[in-house]
Formats: sequence, C-alpha cells, structure tokens
Amino acid sequence: MRGRINAGLVIGGVLVGLVVLLALLSFGWTPRDPVLVDAAAKLHEPGGGYLLGADKFGRDTFSQLMVGARTTLYVGVVAVGIAAIIGTPLGIIAGMTSGRLGWLSELIMRVNDLVFAFPALLLAIMLGAVYGAGTLTAMIAIGVATVPAFARVSRAATMQVMVTDYVLAARAAGRRRTAVALRHVLPNISSVLIVQASVSFAIAILAEAALSFLGFGTRPPIPSWGRMLQESQELLFSTPRLALWPGLAIALAVLGFNLLGDGLRDYLDPKLRRIRAER
Amino acid sequence: MLSVEGLTVRAGSVELVRDVSFEIGPGERVGLIGESGSGKSLTALSLMGLLPEGVTAAGAARLGERDLVGVPERRLKALRGQDVSMVFQEPMTALNPLMRVGAQVTEVMTLHGRPAGQARARAVELLGRVRLPQPEQVARAYPHQLSGGQRQRVMLAIALANEPGLLICDEPTTALDVTVQKQMLDLIAEVAPALLFITHDLAVVASVCERVLVMYGGRVVESGPIREVFGNPRHRYTEGLLAASRLTPRGTRLPVIAGSVPAAGQFPDGCVFTNRCPHATPACEQEPALTGEGHAHACRHPADRG
Amino acid sequence: MPTHAGTPLIEASDLSRVYHRPRTSLTRAGEAVHALRGVSLTVRAGERFGIVGESGSGKSTLLRLLCALDQPTSGSIRFDGQEITGRPERRLRFLRQSLQIVFQDPMSSLDPRMRVRDLVAEPLVALGEPVGGRVAELLDQVGLPASAADRYPHQFSGGQRQRIAIARALAPRPKVLVADEPVSALDVSVRGQILNLLADLVDELGLTLVFVSHDLSVVRHVCETVAVMNGGEIVETGAVDDIWAEPRHAYTRTLLRAVPTLEGFL
Repeated sequence: MRGRINAGLVIGGVLVGLVVLLALLSFGWTPRDPVLVDAAAKLHEPGGGYLLGADKFGRDTFSQLMVGARTTLYVGVVAVGIAAIIGTPLGIIAGMTSGRLGWLSELIMRVNDLVFAFPALLLAIMLGAVYGAGTLTAMIAIGVATVPAFARVSRAATMQVMVTDYVLAARAAGRRRTAVALRHVLPNISSVLIVQASVSFAIAILAEAALSFLGFGTRPPIPSWGRMLQESQELLFSTPRLALWPGLAIALAVLGFNLLGDGLRDYLDPKLRRIRAER
Repeated sequence: MLSVEGLTVRAGSVELVRDVSFEIGPGERVGLIGESGSGKSLTALSLMGLLPEGVTAAGAARLGERDLVGVPERRLKALRGQDVSMVFQEPMTALNPLMRVGAQVTEVMTLHGRPAGQARARAVELLGRVRLPQPEQVARAYPHQLSGGQRQRVMLAIALANEPGLLICDEPTTALDVTVQKQMLDLIAEVAPALLFITHDLAVVASVCERVLVMYGGRVVESGPIREVFGNPRHRYTEGLLAASRLTPRGTRLPVIAGSVPAAGQFPDGCVFTNRCPHATPACEQEPALTGEGHAHACRHPADRG
Repeated sequence: MPTHAGTPLIEASDLSRVYHRPRTSLTRAGEAVHALRGVSLTVRAGERFGIVGESGSGKSTLLRLLCALDQPTSGSIRFDGQEITGRPERRLRFLRQSLQIVFQDPMSSLDPRMRVRDLVAEPLVALGEPVGGRVAELLDQVGLPASAADRYPHQFSGGQRQRIAIARALAPRPKVLVADEPVSALDVSVRGQILNLLADLVDELGLTLVFVSHDLSVVRHVCETVAVMNGGEIVETGAVDDIWAEPRHAYTRTLLRAVPTLEGFL
C-alpha cells in the first residue's frame, strides 16, 4: 500500500520538520527576548550571545526567526484550513452532481473561477483596509483565495472516484449520496488533498511574508519573517545579513513544503502504486 | 530462429522467472500459457528488452545471430520492431491518440531507415494485409475512430511493418469480443513469421499454436506439441488447468484446483505447485527438472499416459 | 419457453435507453446512442437467468436498469410487482434489500480504503440493519476465515476478493443475486471455485440468479434460461440447452461458432 520514499520527500520533510521544531521550541525557550528593544545591542554582530546578530533595535535575529516560524506556521495552518474546509466539500459536491443537478456543479465552479481570478494580495489589502490589517485578516484573505485550488483538485479527484466500480457497488448496496461522499469519496481523494495542502501551505507562507512586507500582515511587535525583511530594507547594503536570514528562512520553508508536496504525490499516487503491485 | 537458454528474471531478490529455456523454429507458432503471476509476460518483455525499471533479466536469448538479453539498450532499439516485434493486450493505450493511424505505421518503418515515400505506400498495403477494409481511409483515421478489433489490426500492421523474424503477441485478443477474436486469431496465425503467443486461455492457444509451454510460478512446468500436452497432460498443474477449463453441464460440480495462485515470490520451494497439488509428497520439496524429449514435464508424480 | 413454474419476480417491458454523446459542434446536439431498443424479459422466482452479449450489446445497460442504478428512457420494470423506474433512491429500499449485485472485477468493485468487515457490512449499514455477528457468518459462508474481516482488499487474491464481494452481496439476505461477469477477471484455476460457490449458495439460500456473461459456455453451465443480446436488443431467448443445441438466430450461431473450444482441437 505504501510507495517508495523519494529524495524530495526526505529533504522536504527535514526542512518542514526544522521549521516546526523551531516554532515549537520558541514557545518554551528562545536565546533572548525576541521583542526586547535594547539600544546597547543595536546592530550587534553575530556572536557573543547573539547567534545571528541583532537588528537596528537591538533585537536578537535568531530569536525573532524562531518566533517568526511560529507566525508563519500559524498563518499557513489557518489559511490552508479555511481553504480545505470550504473548498473540499464544494469540490466534492461539484464532482458528484451531474445530469439533473448539473447546474449546481456549474454554479460552484463558475463562482470558483471568479474567486480564482481575484488576486490574493489584493483581497488581503482590501480586507486590511476595511477591517484593519493584521495576522487574522491576512490569514482569512489567503485562505479564501486558496479555496478555488482545493475545490478544483477535489472536484477532479471526485469525478475519478465517482466512475469507479466501488462507488457503483456502494450505490447498489443502497448508500445515499452523503454516505458515498463521506465513506468512499473523501477517503479516496485524501491523498490528493494532502498534496494540495502541502503546496498551498508554501504559497500561504509566501503570501504572508509578502503581506507583512507590505505592512498588511502581522503587526509589530509580533515577529514575522516578512516584516523582518521589510525592516532590513534600509540597511540592505550596510548590514545585508538582516535581510539574508529571514529571506533564507522563507525560501527554505517554501522549498520544504513544495518538495514535501511533490514527494507525497509520488509516494501516495495510486497509479504508481498499482504498477508496482502488478509486478 | 529464437533460442532461449536459462532465462531468469529478477526484481531485487525475488525471482519472477526461473531458468526458462525453449526454441522457436522459422514459421513455428508457439504458445506460452500461464495464469496471472506465472511470469509469462515478463518472459516476453525480457525478449523485447522492455522490462520495467528495477527488473533484470539474466541468461541467454538469441534471435538468429543476435543476442536479445544482456545487450545495451541502443542495440536493442535497432532490433525492436525490426527483427522482433510485439502486439500488446490493449490496442487503445498502445497507439498514439493524436497521430493518424497511417502515420504511425509509416513511422515504424522510417525509424528503421526506410524512405518516407516508400514507407507511406507500404503502410496502406500493410493495413490491407491485416484485412482492414478501405485501407486508404483507415490510414487517415485517428485511433479513437476505429473499433477495438480494428485498432488491434493496426497494431498488427505496425508489428509486421519491417518483416520481423519473430512476432510476440501478449494476450492480443483478451480485450476483444469473441466474434472479433476469432478473425484476429486466424489472421495472426496466417501472417506471423514465427510466433510466440502469450495467453491465459487454453482454447485460444489450441486454435493458434502448434507447440505450447505451460508456465506456473515463473517456471516452465510442461512443454510439447499442443495435442500431446492437452490430450495427455503429465504435470499435475496442466492436468488441473485443463480440467478446470472444461465447463461441465449444469448441476454438476466443476473440477477445481485448490487454493489460489500465490503472490510473486511466495511460491513454495522445490516444485512450485506443491502447495496446491493433490499428489504432492515430501519428494516434491526437491525441485524437479524439466525432462523429456518433445513432450517434457517437470513433475515427480506425473499423470499417467492415458 | 422457460419451463419454470415460479412466479414472475422481475418483469421488464419495452425498455429503451438513449444516451447522448457530448456535442462536438456548437450548432448540433450530441449524437444519440441507442443502448437499448425495446427490451422485454421476465425472470421468475428461483430461476437462473443468463444474459449473453458482447460489448455494446446493451447487456451492461440492461443490468444497470434492472438494479435501478440508471433510469430507462422509456419502458417499465416491475420487481416483485412494484414499479422501480422513476423512483428516488429513498423509495428503493425494498429493491436494495432484495436484489444485490456482484461485479465483474473485484479489484475495482471493493473500495481499497475500507476493511473487509466494513465492505461486507456496508449493505446492512446502508439499510439501517443491525450488523452483529453477520460478517463472520457471511465470510464463513463464502469460505473465508473470520480473520479476513480485519484486512484490506488488496491483501487478497482475485478469487478471494470475489468471495468478499459475494459475501457482501448476501449480507441483507436478498432474494435475487445479479452477477455481472463474475468470473471473467479471474484465473482459470479459480474460476471453477467461484462458479461452484455461486451454485451452492443459490441452491442453499433459494436465490434467483441473473447471470451476465459474454461467454455462452459459462452461462450454459450456470443457467437454465438465457437471453442473447446484440445491438441493444434481445435476439433470442429460451432454455439454454435448446439454444446451445439449435440456435435459431444468425447472431447466436455466429457467437457459438466463434467461441474457441478445447474439444475442437483434440
């Protein structure tokens, strides 16, 4: 039943694991107080208790990165959660309704197209302007903008499941629509959803960083990788390390989730699995 | 023509085909019979050099003067479709859906160095030879516009394009309807230069081939002329398979072989059939050799000649 | 004519089913495909009724209609005296209770993500009936150990999977068992086991059997009555032995001649 472990899966898993580890650790311990402004430590060089140095307010960069990982994961989980919880049922409904109820499927997918056509960042900036910028509005905006991705993949996967013999067999056994959706469709499209979640997570991280950079995301003083980048902007030429570390963190986290998604796709793909089973 | 000597196919440490040897003379039609997991398709694929990744073949197979096993891919590419070609079970997936049928037949000839113009004319001729009505029109059609039987004929035309010395057919009619199957079988028997015909269907093999190899658990357990093997099976597996293939009148019990075919790598040691054989004794734990001239069998307690 | 004395259980009359191909042009509607053209048949209680046909003959469409998995374009089907066409799923409970299906390929008809226990119990759960010790009882009936319940379908061989599918179909104690090519995906050496099992169960449980196959010789072994289908119509129907010995329709003769037999070569 299990696929072959591939390099992408391992590297992605390690990178994602590292981010998660940093975030978890930050709840109990950070080398220094990440938000403590200390004029004496202003632009402190790496070393001497400041592993990666300090920024222009004297805050420890490494501590900020650790807590920033928390923010990043928090935004990713909530945004992907919103997208999955709304998008998946919509996609399943759209994938299961055809024939007489075909209009419902059409309606869902056209509204979906509409949302898809709307840029996520613009949505976040609009929401930020109306309800005030912050982590919550950013998460909701990113989540809503990711709904179509989930709706699309779950619809496509549902349509594949709906033509299988075991769905026909379930109907012949007397199963109603909802039972078919919950008992047969959902478990069989779960691997596709896991892959989508992983890829969407990467996009959400990037979007949050962009929003924080623009000042529409996480508010100070809560550390965020995107805002760390923004704050380092003016010192880009004199102290490039301030931009390097959060930039690297974002790049590695995004890379990690993308590799994990690709690796999971190969690992969970039933077609690849079937080929192996036949041999 | 084709001689296979000690062919063994492995996937990692699992032996999927073991020590298979046979010969096919020019113009001879040989059947390779087996159920799922018998290793019959892997035997064919290893002759084509088309084994899937992670699966390797050892032993020797020679077609005329050329080696088929253990030679680099580059050499095999030249052989494939030229000296030996293959017809697969699923004609829909074996054809390119975006290419006209005629172009696909032509391509296999130009790939092996025939001038394009000449190849195009010959493609139409080939489509006629596999008894497709109005071959000029068929050549302009796309695969989805043809029926399953017609597609399989196109596959056969492609296989025959370079006048190969050996044609391998892997369950070529399993996906076809019975009424179409018969015409296809007659056609294959007629046009094949030398034939290795792989199937699970005893009756189909009987209608096409002169000689048969019975495979089970990756080994040839019995071989010989069809009449001998089917009329007078010696190996207990062949005997059971023949009995199970004959449908008795309603209300009677069908003779069966106990248990089910083990998964690859889980066949018993010694005689691979011991765990399902009603005649098995401790002696069967020693692997029996395939013995006998003409009609050979690998069984310690063979069925009586009757 | 069938010599059976049982009362009619399934009565289909003048069934038609037209499908529309997806349109390929903006101005013209998709091409209509007549999958069934005015098919009528009667299956009596206790009968073993065979349906023989090749791909495109309409046998699969007919089967779906008889099982209320699809609606006919016109015509009616009465099951045990009750009309089943045009009913919504919630009013088909009596049919789901009394008629169950075994599909062709047990590899694809069993949900790979479900345990055997849940697969076998599914018809009972769907009908809201107690499961209790029924799963173990059913597995025993089809010759599988009770321990099979905790495993997944892919852990079984083809023949064993078909046994699981049969156990599942028998769960709600149906009157009618519909078998759609139940042995054509199986190895020859296990085909006999499944056919024997079906025959035993039909006898023991007094089932009515509707057996669909492309192979007239299999139908001859299993059934007493047969309907031969071609081009969406029943071209010939009657006692299997009569049709086997003396086919009247040209298509039946072609079909019989085309089936390769071992006997012919020995």
